[in-house]
Amino acid sequence: MTTTAIITLVAVLVIVLGVSVITRPRHSSTVDFYLAGQRVGVATNSWAICGDYLSAASFLGVAAAVYVSGLDGAWYAVGFAAGFVPVLLLVAAPLRRYGEFSLADFLGRRLRSDAVRLHSVGVVQLVILCYLIPQSVGGGITWELLVGHGLFGLSPYSTGVLLSTAVIAVLVAAGGMRGTTWNQAVQFLLLFAALLWLAAMVSADGFRYGEAVDSLSSQPLLNPEFTEGSWELTQEQNAVDPGTPAVFGEPGARYGQLGQVALVVTLGLGTAGLPHVMNRYFTAPTGRAARTTTVWVLVLIGIFYALAVMMGTAARDIIPGASREHAWLDELTEDGVLRVPEHALPVLGRIYGDEAGLGLIAAAALIAAMSTVAGLLLASAATWGHDVYERHINPRATQRQAVWVGRGSTLIAAGAAAALAIALRPEAFTPAMPSLVATMVTWAFAIAGSALTPVVVLAIWWRRTTAAGALAGLISGATLSISMFLGASFMEASPLRELMAAPTLVAAPLAFLLTIAVSLRTQPPTDVESDWLIMHGTAADRQAERVADLTLRQRRRGKEDRRAR
Amino acid sequence: MTLSPQEDGETRDTPAEVDAAFRTQRRVALTYFAVFLVVVAVFPLLSTSLSWWLDSRLIGDLSPGFLTVAVGLYAVFAAIGIAAATLSSSVESQMLGSQGDQRAEESGPGAEAGAS
Repeated sequence: MTTTAIITLVAVLVIVLGVSVITRPRHSSTVDFYLAGQRVGVATNSWAICGDYLSAASFLGVAAAVYVSGLDGAWYAVGFAAGFVPVLLLVAAPLRRYGEFSLADFLGRRLRSDAVRLHSVGVVQLVILCYLIPQSVGGGITWELLVGHGLFGLSPYSTGVLLSTAVIAVLVAAGGMRGTTWNQAVQFLLLFAALLWLAAMVSADGFRYGEAVDSLSSQPLLNPEFTEGSWELTQEQNAVDPGTPAVFGEPGARYGQLGQVALVVTLGLGTAGLPHVMNRYFTAPTGRAARTTTVWVLVLIGIFYALAVMMGTAARDIIPGASREHAWLDELTEDGVLRVPEHALPVLGRIYGDEAGLGLIAAAALIAAMSTVAGLLLASAATWGHDVYERHINPRATQRQAVWVGRGSTLIAAGAAAALAIALRPEAFTPAMPSLVATMVTWAFAIAGSALTPVVVLAIWWRRTTAAGALAGLISGATLSISMFLGASFMEASPLRELMAAPTLVAAPLAFLLTIAVSLRTQPPTDVESDWLIMHGTAADRQAERVADLTLRQRRRGKEDRRAR
Repeated sequence: MTLSPQEDGETRDTPAEVDAAFRTQRRVALTYFAVFLVVVAVFPLLSTSLSWWLDSRLIGDLSPGFLTVAVGLYAVFAAIGIAAATLSSSVESQMLGSQGDQRAEESGPGAEAGAS
């Protein structure tokens, strides 16, 4: 371990521990622990949502996918960024106005059904697990690169997985939503700064985007493959124009036309069903604030993903030349091409900033993984502690008991994710998938977008939605999406495989139609009008704004009085 | 606790008001969602139907196709978001809370000072 690595790790720990201590929950209430008292402002919440959302899949995975597949890899970035458009248009403001603790609780209360709540909890946990594992993988990969040594007889990868997951699990269990919010906000700003620094360094070194894409596109796209005990470069085939080689700057290196659309729809619709992201909306003071927050998020993540795509291109362009000058690249590359594409950004960091540059990018990658893990663990805590324990197992639980159950479930979910991440080593997948980290996250988006999003959108916009209809949508969406992406793992490359690997294009419409069909045959809950007044009215927003305004005036008046004395 | 007529108008919406606002909001959301879907779906069509889409060069020597996924779509998403959010907030301001505003106007400026 180098001095730089030690300094980097200590700095990351000091930042997250410091923020957690300063912002620790002041009361042992569930609203404080899970929702940060519902007083998170627009700027803070938009940074925190970005920190929550921009995971290792976004930081390491998008650049890796572009590195491996060129333009086709950029579809990950497009899909991730697209996700907040449906959130803004269809979900953010009404969901916040309804003001529950979690997506499962929202559906359970809106449809007056414990069965809906419990089934939602099951789907939410599946999404969380699929999302948690790749974040832990990201932590392991980063530790492997940054430190290169294991502790207590473990491999460097396993040590990274266990340490990063354990640290953030303890912080979330202690800090709750308040600490996590500030941690995620600070972590996003650090992550953004690291990417900006890398973009500035690469540009200052003479990187020209258009020339790089042109140069990379002048030859067939080659990627390393581990076959018969050794690495070899193999030529990627064009999926849009079969029989021709794929090139970096044109579609076809990974997906056909159907695959492109299927991937973007899967990622785009999935965001509205991601529990850790949607739970953040409950922390906004009003529905209008939730909407404004989403606009800020759209702008910030747009800039972030544009930079990530640029860095993936830069890595592909720069690393072959750099491998002739830097001997340390020999063990990471095959003829100048990285064996593990997730190494693209850390390697660029080391090329331009030596050990300190590697340390900065590795710290950013760790931060990206940790901030998302924090959100996921908190979402898991909310579903177990509030939706299951408080609502079903012990309805008479004190606030303190419910919070402690949430803390306990945080540690259990973290343990499960770390164990699975260790079992799934990234080399086992690469390069069969464009990027392991991004691919596994796609599964989470697929389940969320196929099962939760259709039901949540209908519950918000269609009065006739019933509990039976929602159950049909949840079960069919989850079952079909899982069957499809698991089935795709055993298929040869084809348009059908692409559709099955990103199944929301099929599964979400089916879940949507089933929810409608079953709802039309069953009795809707009574008193839906009161729900409509809450979700689509703005009385509570106006009241909250008025109270905030009065509080501000009183503070100002108090200050003026003190000055006058 | 019972609310005064002015407070009641400011802190409650009537079902008729909310229903009208809901229908307008639904129209806004679905229209922008349709625009969003068209923007996403049109890329594969352009890739195959227009050779210009991948062969010509625009800003920074990038093809329109690469430029779209590298920068353009994020800008379009942000533009859709800003336009939809502005319109939705405007619809809410105009269609909801008017009862309270009318009562506040009828009560005159002194009423607000009294409330605070």
